[in-house]
Amino acid sequence: MNTSNAVLVGQFIERDSALHRLDPRIKIIGLLMFMIVIMMLDSRSGYTAATVVVLIILLLSKIPLGFYFRGLLPLLPVLILTLLYHTIWGKGQTILASYGFLQITVEGILEGIRIVWRILLMILPASALTGTTQPLILAQGLETLLKPLSKLRVPVEQFSLMVVIAIRFIPTILEEIRRIRLARRARGFEPSNRNPFSRLTEFIPILVPLLVSTTRRADNLTLAIEARAYGDGRHRTIFRPLRLTKSDLIAGCLMLLSIAILLVIDFYLSNTHI
Amino acid sequence: MLVFDQVGYYYRRGQEVVKKVSFTIEKGEFVSIVGGNGSGKSTLAKLMNGLQLAKQGSVVFDKQTASDPDQARNIRKAIGLVFQNPEDQFITTNVTDEIVFGLENIRVPADEIAARVRSALQAVGLERYADAAPHELSGGQKQRAAVAAVIAMRPRFIVFDEATSMLDPEGRNELMQLMQDFHKQGITIVQITHHMDEVLASRRVLLLDQSELVFDGPPDRFFREVPLETYGLEQPFAVRIGQQLGWSGEATADWKGRAASQWSTE
Amino acid sequence: MVNRIKKTAIAQQSGWELRDICVELGGTPVLQHIDLTLEPGSWTSLIGKTGAGKSTLVRLIKGLIPEFTGEYWLAGQPMARDRKGRARVVPEIGFVFQYPEHQIFETTVEKELSFALRMRGDSAKEIEVAIRKMLPVFGLSEELLHQSPLLLSGGQKRRLAIASVLIANPRLLILDEPTAALDPVSRRELLRVLRDWQRGGLNDEPRTVLFISHRMEDVAEYSDRVALLHNGHLLAHETAEKLFLHRSELLTQAGMPLPEAIELLRLTEQLSGRVLNPSSCREADVLKRVKEAWSTRKGTGGLADEYF
Repeated sequence: MNTSNAVLVGQFIERDSALHRLDPRIKIIGLLMFMIVIMMLDSRSGYTAATVVVLIILLLSKIPLGFYFRGLLPLLPVLILTLLYHTIWGKGQTILASYGFLQITVEGILEGIRIVWRILLMILPASALTGTTQPLILAQGLETLLKPLSKLRVPVEQFSLMVVIAIRFIPTILEEIRRIRLARRARGFEPSNRNPFSRLTEFIPILVPLLVSTTRRADNLTLAIEARAYGDGRHRTIFRPLRLTKSDLIAGCLMLLSIAILLVIDFYLSNTHI
Repeated sequence: MLVFDQVGYYYRRGQEVVKKVSFTIEKGEFVSIVGGNGSGKSTLAKLMNGLQLAKQGSVVFDKQTASDPDQARNIRKAIGLVFQNPEDQFITTNVTDEIVFGLENIRVPADEIAARVRSALQAVGLERYADAAPHELSGGQKQRAAVAAVIAMRPRFIVFDEATSMLDPEGRNELMQLMQDFHKQGITIVQITHHMDEVLASRRVLLLDQSELVFDGPPDRFFREVPLETYGLEQPFAVRIGQQLGWSGEATADWKGRAASQWSTE
Repeated sequence: MVNRIKKTAIAQQSGWELRDICVELGGTPVLQHIDLTLEPGSWTSLIGKTGAGKSTLVRLIKGLIPEFTGEYWLAGQPMARDRKGRARVVPEIGFVFQYPEHQIFETTVEKELSFALRMRGDSAKEIEVAIRKMLPVFGLSEELLHQSPLLLSGGQKRRLAIASVLIANPRLLILDEPTAALDPVSRRELLRVLRDWQRGGLNDEPRTVLFISHRMEDVAEYSDRVALLHNGHLLAHETAEKLFLHRSELLTQAGMPLPEAIELLRLTEQLSGRVLNPSSCREADVLKRVKEAWSTRKGTGGLADEYF
């Protein structure tokens, strides 16, 4: 079953880059902080600076840019819908065209672009995180960061296993979708090409068998995990414990610094409100 | 030693999938559990290492009772289980992590894990695939990774639950070879199968029909005495031709060797 | 009986024909210079080790691979390499995937069975007749019709999935390991039904089957012809008799095992020093010769006297 090579979402790409070597905890914290800052950004220069930061991150990962853009393809409908939504429903004074109660305004279009831009600024570094971090290491990073919560009886270990399994099964489930679609087409179903919504409706009947097979897989997987004596996930040994090195700390400081610079640019050097 | 005493199991009351099954498997045995589709044999596998708990009767392995949660954990450490679907038992994202997972669970010290991973990869011949992701492996290779993950935990007993049924002939032969290797090393092997030629490799057959144990004995007697068709089964080639050509002695998997020696005896 | 043949009248005379087909995937050649004609009304088995190119060949036949060199002829016309081409091929071909029971997608047994017929616009009456005809063949009862497929047993699901493909009466049926993971009796039963259907047991005329299998015993038992793939090359396309009885070295070359009965035949030939010529490669015929040889063996040498 070597057919899922085309699957790129959330996939780890083996490369030798500084970003690959960086401790997962630093990467996770860095990403979270960056995302929060993106939410706070308010000016065009802030967005531009953030875009530069994202580009630097992508380049540092030594993963071809094409990989990231192909990863965005499945999101394209969402991005387009967002843009359309704001174009049509957005409020504004500068009316370009209107059909009955629908108005297309410059402000609406700008708002749409701004939101799509924001989504991209958040998704791209996130896929840089999954692209440069092995799922198990990523989960380990999450687990150590969330460790304090286990005092509150939050099953942190199980959560981290859940993350690993989710990433592990993305290709499997996409393959399953492909096969069910193929099964329907093999029996004469042909989605119409022109109507973008027919592609969407094609997925609805697929959901039922997909849910069934995923449930079956989940059952089997639970058994496999139990059969290997997982228990409740506590008190396991850790084969490769995470250790912060000096370069991890330096990288962390650099990240903090660049985030601070971003905020400064946004607040003080802003001339155009976005 | 694994003892099933009057074990019963049902998902819904009144619809038993295992009925009053009793047997004892001694250390070092090689046992086949057979039966048609839906005869209850896979449930039996899960009852063996406490993945499902008997609703009636008891399952005891080396003085540990499966119905006690703490003891069930000990049983799981000692009894490895390889499932049917190679895709659905690959938990992590590469072969090494897959082996490490079980070792971390049973608290093998970190410095010992690397060595155990290496020898497990070697045992199943996957040294070159240590870092391979599941979608880069064939079904047979995935199944061998699952075996490596089990064998690294140093079980005394391994259950193969229709582990060969989704593999091509090559993968199947490799897995059968592994079972025999492990058996020679003193590990107790239980295989659940409906490939009758695999049954010949074992020393004892348990036949399940409509949730009940209806036969317990050596393969030779099994193929001679049991009306296989009524249970959805058939004789393996080696047995069939032995009977048709009037060969004497016991049927074995190596029918070629047997043919050569039978030809020259009158 | 409603005659559905008028709707799909192509491919009647000349079947499926591949001429000098080459396919590359990601720069590596997967199929090289394949010449293969599937005779109408024949059972052809496609064999080869995992990775030999079987699934690519099947995808090509289904029109799912647009980039290939060579020619694909359907009913005396070259196949167009676009959506139109595929639209022409799809209704002609029924495809049973591996583990087809995992691809059941409808909410009732009846809807699942009728899916392909609804897609091509058959009338309710036609659909009902077709379903009534299909159920007993696959050992499914009418009470099941309005149930969810999820409630069926594993064996029933497999049969339902296959019936849902056969019901559309495709001219070419591709079967990818249809008996995998079935117990021996269910396996033989299913092959018998498929063989019956192929021979024209449900319609009035024989259908074409392309059967992918790893079990050489089944291949030798049911095939008219065998196509053997090895590293993307078509190593042989022969009648089953010729391949298994006279050119078995090709199977060895491709890393495929021989059916056990034929191995025994070879061994018996060695032991007896005689050439045994069975009338076909089917197990019953092969074992008949083997038995004769064994019954005439004399003493320890085992060489039958009348031959010397």
